[in-house]
Amino acid sequence: MADETRKKEILDKLRNGVIQYDEDACREGAQEAVAEGLDANEAIFDGLVSGMEEVGRLFEAQEYFVPEILMCADALYAGLEILKPHCRQMDLGVKGSVVIGTVEGDVHDIGKNLVKMMFDVAGFTVYDLGRDVPLDKFVEEQLKTDSELVCLSAMMTTSMVGMPKVIEKIKEKNPNCMIMIGGAPTSKELADKWGADGYAEDASNALKEAIKMVAFLKKLRDEKAQKK
Amino acid sequence: MDAKQLKQFLQAEGATLVGVGDVTKALPKEIVHLNRGIAIALNRSLTKEAVDKLVRLQTLTEGWLKANGHRSLSIPPDSDRRKDKLITKLYRLFCHKTAATCSGLGWIGKNGLIINEQYGSKLTWATVLTDAPLGADRPCVSSRCGDCDLCVRHCPSGAVQGHLWSLRNPLREIVAYDKCRSLKSGRTALKGKPNCGFCVTVCPYSRNGAKK
Repeated sequence: MADETRKKEILDKLRNGVIQYDEDACREGAQEAVAEGLDANEAIFDGLVSGMEEVGRLFEAQEYFVPEILMCADALYAGLEILKPHCRQMDLGVKGSVVIGTVEGDVHDIGKNLVKMMFDVAGFTVYDLGRDVPLDKFVEEQLKTDSELVCLSAMMTTSMVGMPKVIEKIKEKNPNCMIMIGGAPTSKELADKWGADGYAEDASNALKEAIKMVAFLKKLRDEKAQKK
Repeated sequence: MDAKQLKQFLQAEGATLVGVGDVTKALPKEIVHLNRGIAIALNRSLTKEAVDKLVRLQTLTEGWLKANGHRSLSIPPDSDRRKDKLITKLYRLFCHKTAATCSGLGWIGKNGLIINEQYGSKLTWATVLTDAPLGADRPCVSSRCGDCDLCVRHCPSGAVQGHLWSLRNPLREIVAYDKCRSLKSGRTALKGKPNCGFCVTVCPYSRNGAKK
């Protein structure tokens, strides 16, 4: 990548593509990045993710609502699909894999999908169990994949009650595994009471938390680059 | 804000029917700000061209709304839904029938389909939801099927039972969809096409529409 202005042009295209939920622009930007030898990780973080950060801000400012966020996410995925195969494994000291799903009795998975997206972006291996997932399946999958993170989502109070059972079972077998819960009926208090390690109440908060997490990874990466 | 301009614009672009409905009561929390439903219909058989044309009309509507500074969400025609996207999740939250009845373009017939007085059920629908404060048309609140029971008598699966739709009881199941579905899967295996379409072809309103 010789030309700095050209690089900025491509990154801007990716960023604006996400913000303006323009899938074609994201795809185009990603293809240009690959063709012209731009670092794929850089394209993801300084292009796509930087756009998603702005989307998170717009959502907080009530400029954007859930439909816009989902369309932005679709645009991000369009770019990510092309860039992913060209990514180097990120060397951050966090080897990430995560089991994620909506618990039994619940079919709401908008928030779950947004969180999953940010894990995808961050280079985690994501085991998506989908929605209406039997409780034991989470425990099984965690043991099988030895993931260090399990994310449980629920929209309804009735299905949320399954969460503490899963947490207990997983912590019993594998105390080091981190568990995050999310969804409208959950709260910080419940998360603490059940022994969950993280919490987000809805899709936007989940997105915010996930963006924070990815932004933190980005910072780590930048610091590392500076040391070199 | 005047809806007339938008309607004329879309009709000039080839839309058969355009209506604006106040859909406030039918909206789930995620899209509660988009309280106007623009129903767009084409009186063509369900072909790839018809669907493409509808999607084009939707895009034009989105552009028109955006140029006027408003948000929108397109619910594409049923046969043009990509399964693999995140936004697809939201399509299920709103159905075309709601937009069509709220904008007074038809009622839900005994056959469970939108019936328009002029074109019957031979219409393909698309919806654009928006927060633009467009003047809403008067909604259709009850069935105008009356005593006619042609579709009940002609339904090969016995799914059409003759219930009258009314906005007062919108959740009532008018057609036994499980029966209809099992007939459809049988037909798919046999003829490669799922729909028998009797409930459309026998409907007097649809037949009027076909003549024009």
